[in-house]
Amino acid sequence: MPESDVIAAYVARLAGALAFDPSLARCVRREVEDHLWEAVAAHPTGDRLEAERRAVAHFGDPQVLAAQFAAASLAKRARRVGVAAVVMIAAVFLVMKARLTWYAVMQGPAVDQMGALGAIVSAIDRYAFWLSGYVGLAGWVYIDSRRIPVAFTREYRGQLRRFVLLCSVAAGALIASVLSDGVLTSLRLVGTRWSLDVLMPLVSMAIEVVCVGGLVVSIRGMTQRTASTGRAARMG
Amino acid sequence: MEGEILKGHLDMIVLAALTAGPAHGYAVIEAIRRRSAGAFDLPEGTIYPVLHRLEQAGLLASRWVTAESGRRRRVYTMTRRGARALAARRAVWEQLCEAIGGLLKGSRPCQNPT
Repeated sequence: MPESDVIAAYVARLAGALAFDPSLARCVRREVEDHLWEAVAAHPTGDRLEAERRAVAHFGDPQVLAAQFAAASLAKRARRVGVAAVVMIAAVFLVMKARLTWYAVMQGPAVDQMGALGAIVSAIDRYAFWLSGYVGLAGWVYIDSRRIPVAFTREYRGQLRRFVLLCSVAAGALIASVLSDGVLTSLRLVGTRWSLDVLMPLVSMAIEVVCVGGLVVSIRGMTQRTASTGRAARMG
Repeated sequence: MEGEILKGHLDMIVLAALTAGPAHGYAVIEAIRRRSAGAFDLPEGTIYPVLHRLEQAGLLASRWVTAESGRRRRVYTMTRRGARALAARRAVWEQLCEAIGGLLKGSRPCQNPT
């Protein structure tokens, strides 16, 4: 093997072991490469290949290091999902308020003009949304107040499970709220002739659906990451 | 020194190594070796997950610089929060040392009963 391939092969193995977090892998690769070359330069010997092998051997097993990185990386991801949940719920709230303002300006039908169905759906919408807001906020506060773990321990796995449960409840309630919004919007628009006035409610509904979709995707990604981190931790 | 014992104190060791000023990973390891008179000899890579975790917790900050060699290098600095955390850990450590020292004082090494 040519001289420089020892370090290149090692950092490639480490980056491969960190494939669960590509941006972390790129960053660690650069950082470790610098470290290894400095270690080689700090211990000059006649045999450069031997110096490179020694630097790599002193650095540690890539799988073990990846397992140590995995827990912190997952904690970062979980905190992002917590923030995303709160932002998505807030975005849905703003869009709902914007639509209601639009109806008021355009003098569209109010909920109490839609009969019993409108009243029931409106109540479901309201309670589901506030449930989503409170639980989503609780999830974010919960995960943000946990210590970043040294390793992927059983205790941390339990914390993540509770966080995912809170996020799932928030997402479920938000889906119910958005579906109710969809029903209310349909009731308001039924029989209305197509015009630019109809566009605003439809666009706002589309934004709500995108927000809910984004939240569901980020929770799903989080559960997949938890599973892959668990595998990486077992290998380490 | 036993690796498992060391791992429980890695955060404090790394923070202590950074009290002298900003340093990159390799310099942190060298400082730990030098200041512990070679007692702490962990695999060098072990330090990086700790540095990343401490940065994530807001105890360290980092920036990329260009080294004399031309390579990009990540330099870590202790934040005020990190300094406070180190002071708190140091106080706990000193209490623990005192307590263990008190327990061990006067005790004899274990002897074979046979």
